[in-house]
Amino acid sequence: MTNKTCNILFCGIGGQGVLKASEICGWAAIFDGYHVKKSEVHGMSQRGGSVESHLRFGNKVFSPLITAGCVDYLVSFHQDENTRMKKFLKPDGVDLGKYLDKAQAQIQDPKHLNTFLVGVLSAFLPIKEANWIKAIEKVFPGKLLSQNKEVFFKGRRMIKI
Amino acid sequence: MATNRVKDKIFLSGNEALAHGAWEVGLKVACAYPGTPSTEILETLAKFPEVDVQWSVNEKVAFEVALGAAIGGVRSLFACKHVGLNVAMDPLMTAAYTGIGAGFVVVVCDDPGMFSSQNEQDTRWVSIYAKLPMFEPSSPAEARQMVKQAFKISEQFDTPVLLRMTTRISHTKEDITIDTRSVPVQPPFQLNIQKYVMVPGNAYQRHILLEKRLQKLKTYSENSKFNCIEIADKKIGFITSSITYNYLKEQFPQASYLKLGFVYPFCDDKIRKFAKFVKKIYVVEELDPFLEEHVKTLGIKCFAKDPSFRIGELRPEFMSDIVNGKAKVEKKSDIRKPRMCSNCPHLFTFATLKKLDAIVAGDIGCYTLASLPPISALHSCVCMGAGVTFNEGLRKAFPNGKIVGVVGDSTFIHSGITGLINAVYNKAKGIIFVLDNSTTAMTGGQHHPATGFTIRNEPTKKLVLEDLCRSCGADYVAVVDPKDRKKFEEIVKQRINADALSVIIARHPCPLINR
Repeated sequence: MTNKTCNILFCGIGGQGVLKASEICGWAAIFDGYHVKKSEVHGMSQRGGSVESHLRFGNKVFSPLITAGCVDYLVSFHQDENTRMKKFLKPDGVDLGKYLDKAQAQIQDPKHLNTFLVGVLSAFLPIKEANWIKAIEKVFPGKLLSQNKEVFFKGRRMIKI
Repeated sequence: MATNRVKDKIFLSGNEALAHGAWEVGLKVACAYPGTPSTEILETLAKFPEVDVQWSVNEKVAFEVALGAAIGGVRSLFACKHVGLNVAMDPLMTAAYTGIGAGFVVVVCDDPGMFSSQNEQDTRWVSIYAKLPMFEPSSPAEARQMVKQAFKISEQFDTPVLLRMTTRISHTKEDITIDTRSVPVQPPFQLNIQKYVMVPGNAYQRHILLEKRLQKLKTYSENSKFNCIEIADKKIGFITSSITYNYLKEQFPQASYLKLGFVYPFCDDKIRKFAKFVKKIYVVEELDPFLEEHVKTLGIKCFAKDPSFRIGELRPEFMSDIVNGKAKVEKKSDIRKPRMCSNCPHLFTFATLKKLDAIVAGDIGCYTLASLPPISALHSCVCMGAGVTFNEGLRKAFPNGKIVGVVGDSTFIHSGITGLINAVYNKAKGIIFVLDNSTTAMTGGQHHPATGFTIRNEPTKKLVLEDLCRSCGADYVAVVDPKDRKKFEEIVKQRINADALSVIIARHPCPLINR
């Protein structure tokens, strides 16, 4: 457990599974015992607009939105959105946008991008692996579960810290 | 909800948490018309078999059904978005007079920043106007706690209770500990003409009681734990409510706070007490100066945000500029805008209307997106149902104009039918297009009377729109698939010059909705 609130910004466009990714991460943080808040900016995601999902966890979280310039981890699903949202990172924040090309090369189905990127992100966060697995089990129903677990580990193992 | 449960903690949005709280205290009846950001309240309640839930035809109807149930003696809830409450204002204003039988909670979700709305009216003013108590949660966890308390005081003070959410509270998710359901025993319904028949003599007596009730509620407000003083650094104190409290807490953790959760009637004594504790008072709130103006009437010197910050949603990064008295800097938005889906059947309808160079009166729905370039073929949007009535109005100014009206299927049932009857009765001409994608698409695909299914997907009698339009007296009614472009265009061309009132139902199901 860390005492500091962790700020993660997921961004992409409607239909890419951005909200599912922040949902998995939210559950993982809950299972790890944190107070969690998650909030989206820009609606009408099914209509192809920009989607931003803010996820924050820690001992006690007040704001559901991350203050501009305070993002610890930026998880981008689309190059344009990555460029647009970079300014929200704090000076020593981690831009996972650099893994987007590799992620896209490694997945067979674009539907798996969200789980893959969650795998990448998981390698940076102080959340136990068992709780990531529980979160994935929570979010993906029966048939999709084993595939998504596999994709998650592909992403997680791509990062060597 | 069983699937969302982890031991005692679940990850719920503000709307889901509120629904859960209402269920826990024995909610029996819930009514609403879908509207972002309020829709998920009813969708969540529909998962509880103990609650009688319905998508109503519009907000006025929903309010009245729920109020009737409450007067009848079961805990009831009505939920809407801010502009939805406008539609239900008629019963709301007089429900303040009748009071209730069992608890009745009116949930209103405002939309600061207009994520999916036509204005950003601040519903807090309604509490003063309608003389009703109002709660304002600052988080999903509080939405759950407050709705439970709202039912309690509704019964204690014999009043409908307003609970005001915002998009940020409704759609934020938080880990929440939930409880089991317990249903309170209610006194049986009793006929009471003086209380429930609002004719002038009775209403006068009820108004006397209403003013007395407000005095009692003021005392409640003074003692409510939801109006909470947090004393820390006495140099600076914030009076605030809702989401703004959270933004301030992060930016100014050392300051003192008066956090208002039971916002009306105002807790004047508590506000004065807080003002004495701290040296410099700031009132910071989203949208209108609701708290600010009241605090100023108490003769308390306070600082408030520059009026430019009354526009749009607040963000955590605005807090220091607000405190420093700066004006809002308007930045050009660089977000990717939503647009009509590439396979949307409405696109075909609008392509034809654009080709014919028609002036198109519109209203609220996915099809409002047809006003955006490159389509730019929808020319007005004010409120639900106005696609039908603006056709009539515009024609009074331009009797020979090439004017048509468009209205969605769900919107037509919500408030277009009366406009159509008015057009027939007053001999208006033109074409009304019912853009029938067979769902309430904009809010995520909810059922309505013409889909033939209820909120729980149970089959029910299906409203046949073409039969309805014929019986309203339209001169011509046709059902056409807009994707059959040639035939569609042919009919439109033929009708647009006719000296008649035509209804063309452009029917093709929304491809996003898989039933």
